[in-house]
Amino acid sequence: MNAPAATPPPLPESGQALSPEKALRRLFLTLFLRGRGARGMRKERAPKSVGTKLAFTLLFYALFGLMAFVFSNQPVFALSLYLHAMTLMFLGMFVAASAGEVLFNQEEADILMHRPITPRALLWAKIAVLVQISLWLAGAFNLVGLCVGVAAKDGGWLFPVAHAISTVVEALFCTGCVVMIYQLCLRWFGRERLEGLMTMAQVFMAIAVILASQMVPHLMARFAGKIHFNLDAWWVWLLPPAWFAGFDDAIAGRGTPVSWVLGGLGLLVTTAVLWSAFGKLAGDYETGLRMLNESKAAPVGQQAGRRWFGRLVNAPPLRWWLNDPVTRASFLLTAVYLVRDRDVKLRMYPGLAPMLMMPLIFLIQDRGREGGAFGVAFAGTYLGLVPLLGLNLLQYSQHWQASDVFRAAPMPGPAPLCHGARHAILVLLTAPVLVFYGLVAWLAGVEFSRLALLLPGLIALPIFALMPSMKGKSVPLSMPIDEAKSAGRGLHMIGVMLISAALSGLAMWSWTSGWFVWLLLIELLIAFGLYQVMRRSLDSVRWTSLE
Amino acid sequence: MISLQHLTKRFGTQTAVDALSFDVPSGQIVGFLGPNGAGKSTTLKMLTGMIEPSEGTATVCGFDLRRDTLEVKRRIGFVPESGAVFESLTGLEYLEMVAALYGIPEDAARARIHQFITFFDLGFDTLTDKLLGAYSKGMRRKVVITAALLHNPPVVFFDEPLDGLDANAAVGFKALIQTLAREGKTIVYSSHILDVVERVCDRVIIIDKGRLLVDGRPDELVAARGTGTLESLFTQLTGGTELRQRAEDFAKTFRT
Repeated sequence: MNAPAATPPPLPESGQALSPEKALRRLFLTLFLRGRGARGMRKERAPKSVGTKLAFTLLFYALFGLMAFVFSNQPVFALSLYLHAMTLMFLGMFVAASAGEVLFNQEEADILMHRPITPRALLWAKIAVLVQISLWLAGAFNLVGLCVGVAAKDGGWLFPVAHAISTVVEALFCTGCVVMIYQLCLRWFGRERLEGLMTMAQVFMAIAVILASQMVPHLMARFAGKIHFNLDAWWVWLLPPAWFAGFDDAIAGRGTPVSWVLGGLGLLVTTAVLWSAFGKLAGDYETGLRMLNESKAAPVGQQAGRRWFGRLVNAPPLRWWLNDPVTRASFLLTAVYLVRDRDVKLRMYPGLAPMLMMPLIFLIQDRGREGGAFGVAFAGTYLGLVPLLGLNLLQYSQHWQASDVFRAAPMPGPAPLCHGARHAILVLLTAPVLVFYGLVAWLAGVEFSRLALLLPGLIALPIFALMPSMKGKSVPLSMPIDEAKSAGRGLHMIGVMLISAALSGLAMWSWTSGWFVWLLLIELLIAFGLYQVMRRSLDSVRWTSLE
Repeated sequence: MISLQHLTKRFGTQTAVDALSFDVPSGQIVGFLGPNGAGKSTTLKMLTGMIEPSEGTATVCGFDLRRDTLEVKRRIGFVPESGAVFESLTGLEYLEMVAALYGIPEDAARARIHQFITFFDLGFDTLTDKLLGAYSKGMRRKVVITAALLHNPPVVFFDEPLDGLDANAAVGFKALIQTLAREGKTIVYSSHILDVVERVCDRVIIIDKGRLLVDGRPDELVAARGTGTLESLFTQLTGGTELRQRAEDFAKTFRT
């Protein structure tokens, strides 16, 4: 180190300074693209890999947008309704999944909150980045739709302009709604409960978006491209995609009075949402940010939760199941993080909830049909997704460096840790989901005997639960969070969905043709053998060198 | 330069800082000490506008902390204990971002950053090519210190600034803050390394359970209590007098 310099001279007044607002926008965009924590990531690859993933994501959206060709001979309203409904679903999922991390980041408080910037400037910069990325996604998805609109039945060259405007408004509406929900939660339930609420809010937003997207095919079938509003269809006025489609129809389509009113309603509601989110309720955001700085003793509820876990683990049947002390410790660690850690909860529950909606939709659609069996079989096999996705997501934590303690402990390999995490996910997440599906099936009027169709899925469950741990992966809380942004996981999920669908189909076929018991026996034999092989393979894994 | 009047912070029923009052004139280095959980970091977070006081007031450079928070923030630098940085930025990107938040022109910011990296031996290549997540703890701490001083603030708060710095960097840093104080800057220095505080600080404030215990020159306080060193004074005031005996008793438990 050189000799200490004298106090640096006062900084010159002249010259061009980047405005704080622009600096913040640049910062949050960079953080979004590169991820927040680069510790442990291969630094040369980190930014590039995220950029590549983004490019692939945009390409995927653009390819999905080719579906717009189906509407090439339809009126503008039909095309627009489809485009806006799908855009709203995609953006809703994206903003709901990103908002928690972007809006309330604890480490960020230590870096930025003592700088001369207002919480409102922070909020605006974050929103600008969320909207910007939303628009990239929306732009990629709507690219084909813009061209199709020009050639639509009553479309024309004005369609791309009108649709671009309405898509921007839609992105603002979507982002504004998510921010408003957070702020209303803060206002109504208080800052002390912010962390729990963030998880709940994201879960409900993700579920709402998925359920809302189920309305699109019904809408398309019902209106067949024309707006017929009557007393039976009053609820259409409540659907945001209809507002924005109305805007497109007013500017570039038939321009009926109804479409003008719908378009106007969309603009009006968006203005109101933005005013509430960024004007009226911005003070609550400031309160929330400050709350992140305040460390305080664990609330009584959390202490009680710890005792509850202790009792659960020390009582039969878990005491018998978790007879290895390392497995038991890993079970407790996983359980505590699933309940208490904001970062894990924000990744886990909003990630799982939308996935689990699919069997529910089948179960509800089966309602009233004779037997209603496919939904039950599908729900059973789909259960495998819970440990698969859960264990995969549980690997990542902000506290990943603390996992060095696992390697320092006298253990030859990670197997006992993986077993503990697996057991925790099965007991605390999978079992409640199974009960929930059973309850929904019962409420949907499925015959009791047909609940046996859950069995093929339950027999396969231990195999699904072991899959993420193979080769010693899925050690809980041992990887930096930015590696969670993996495109590979999506492929795994699709694979599991296909296997689930195939197994459900097989279960249905064997049920109707009287081979069901045989199917169970054969599956049981295969699953038992496979489980033994996988388990031994996992137990023989040794720690690999940390590079 | 800094003035606290009955500054208080409560978290629910727990009082973290209890009616703390003191003044710090310009050009002084104040050691702000206390055992773990004494309320030091909470006090610093209040003085830097990061959390809101429950009661009482404070002024920094004549600006009221509650009313003119932004004016206070423009005039302070803060090195938080966590040493948090945005790990996916390079060092240069991070410092340029911080400079922009204070409205420093890009050319001036770059020149100032050059001065700091020369002083801290960081190397411009390291600053431009490596993400902060790949820095060692000491290098990251140097970047955090640079970010706190980049806008030439008249008041600087340091919370455990030497954490992670190697011996040479620590010596250079101590000399730097003494020079800065001679130039008129006010420095509040919170640390558990008491011999450094004793050598560097003009004045020491010790708090415990959020309350002020003593306030004065280190040599005068040590002489008045007859403790010999600041460390002994600290343990005497904060209930650590029987530590040696407790350590011996505890070590005996390992014999079985």
